[in-house]
Amino acid sequence: MSKNMYRNVRFILLLIKLKLSRMMVFRFSFFGAFFADGTLFLVQLLTFSTIYGHVDSIGGWDRGQMILFVGTFSLINALNMLIYFFGVIGIPDKIKRGDLDQYLTKPINPLLRLTFESVNPGSFLLVVMSVLIIGYGVSVSGIEVSAGLALAYTGLVLLMTLLWYDMEVILRTIPFLVISANGIEQLEGHLIDLNFKVPGVLYNGVLKVLFYFIMPYGVMSTVPTQLLSGVVTAPGLVQALCVVVVFTVFTLWFWRFGLRRYKSASS
Amino acid sequence: MYVIHTKGLTKSYRRFEKEEGLRGSIRSLFHRQFVVKTAVRDFDLQVKEGEFVGLIGPNGAGKTTLVKMLTGIIAPTSGEIAVLGYYPNKLENAFKKQYAVVMGQKSQLIFDLTAADTFLLFKEMYEIPKEVYRRNLELFIDLFGAREYLNMQVRTLSLGERMKMELVTALLHNPKVLFLDEPTIGLDAPAQRQIRAFLKEVNQRNGTTILLTSHYMEDVRSLCPRSVVVGQGQKVYDGSTEALFNAYQTHKKITVLFAGESHFAVPVGCTMIEQSPHKAVFTVPKEQGGAVLERIMGEYPLNDISIEEEDMGVIVEKIYQGETGA
Repeated sequence: MSKNMYRNVRFILLLIKLKLSRMMVFRFSFFGAFFADGTLFLVQLLTFSTIYGHVDSIGGWDRGQMILFVGTFSLINALNMLIYFFGVIGIPDKIKRGDLDQYLTKPINPLLRLTFESVNPGSFLLVVMSVLIIGYGVSVSGIEVSAGLALAYTGLVLLMTLLWYDMEVILRTIPFLVISANGIEQLEGHLIDLNFKVPGVLYNGVLKVLFYFIMPYGVMSTVPTQLLSGVVTAPGLVQALCVVVVFTVFTLWFWRFGLRRYKSASS
Repeated sequence: MYVIHTKGLTKSYRRFEKEEGLRGSIRSLFHRQFVVKTAVRDFDLQVKEGEFVGLIGPNGAGKTTLVKMLTGIIAPTSGEIAVLGYYPNKLENAFKKQYAVVMGQKSQLIFDLTAADTFLLFKEMYEIPKEVYRRNLELFIDLFGAREYLNMQVRTLSLGERMKMELVTALLHNPKVLFLDEPTIGLDAPAQRQIRAFLKEVNQRNGTTILLTSHYMEDVRSLCPRSVVVGQGQKVYDGSTEALFNAYQTHKKITVLFAGESHFAVPVGCTMIEQSPHKAVFTVPKEQGGAVLERIMGEYPLNDISIEEEDMGVIVEKIYQGETGA
């Protein structure tokens, strides 16, 4: 591990410790967070049961694959909430109010600090429940999961979590360039909601281009599900990996581009 | 070599403008109008190592914009800028480890935790060796006599106590340059005095170069041998603080509140700013201050009296007009 990476890992661990300390100051919030995220998960589960409960196949996907899809989306969403969501979501306000000043003047990557300073342990329960749903989907589908497949699936889920992160950061970097980007954030919410319910295999034509290459929410849960259920194609997998690489490179470039246009705020 | 060097430094902003009301909003939806505002214009500044320089000027003069360019927060529009040999807006960590910035209106403390927790975060960010960290913490906490606040939740500290912790946080890594933007704003007189004494000690003991912006004349007068006055984004004075105040701060502002209704007659040589039967606000030439006060206190029943330094805006105006008391 390089010296810089070791330093960043130490810093991330310290941010997590501080966040836990902050949560423990407010005892209700500390325990309440577990309850709140668990409830959110149950509401989502009920929604999916209502929609898919009586459907055997959608777009060629059977019930087991559908459960895997739901579980995988839940898992990616849970990892997002657990690790970076509450840090990244605050970026537009920090840009508008000039609070980014305090991040830019410190000798640590501002995006790294913003990403990890608001981890949310309350979402861990959501991770566990998502894994249980995936386990159930595996048993319904009768899939035999080898160590290699489990590892490949885990790696792909982590890459898709990175892709979700990329999308969140890109949309929250736009306020560097415009006066207000509230509409874009609302659009993001609707698109995630849609893609949480509709597997990517259902998209064709313009929608496929939109949800696979421009706002790639359609790829995030679909490709890991295809991998786990053994229906992924090599070109499909490579395509998904390329999307992650392109979006990650673009995110880092766009963030630096935005930072150079940061105007702060008058005091 | 200068620690801070700028030449022809300029910063312009594009500001969005729209007419009032719904019609203006609809029009702005299709036809955006922007005006260019130059916050800092052709600014030349050289600061040597160990100097304590006061940056003064009225609100909106461009002081904070200048500090933001010097710390790399914003990029200049044009001109030369170097701090410790670095171009600040490149935001290099090697540069950021050598300076600190304290903004009176923006805290860097973690409000829900204790100041000691923030110190740990800074120790990690700046990679401060354990020994240096411990030594500096002891030194600064002792200088402020602030040991009792270390383990208190930051949000429960008073403004003055919090500012002391901000300064300790900023100095833990031994910065070569310290930028202070209104560090005493909103503080009571004893807290202001403590902070001034602390800053003087830091400057003299560590040789830290300090650039201080403040609205309070007393901050600059008691701390900074050199002052730079900024007006409308430009440097209008750069020189001895003593000479500045002797030449341009020629009047005091006196506010008197009468015990009952009074027909106050303006003393000769004074200029009335505001008058009512219960209150009078006027300026008096510094050398006549004592005599005028004595006369007022003898002639009128008073509830309260206060004496203030002349407003910074007035001084800048005088510098523009080349008007001195001499």
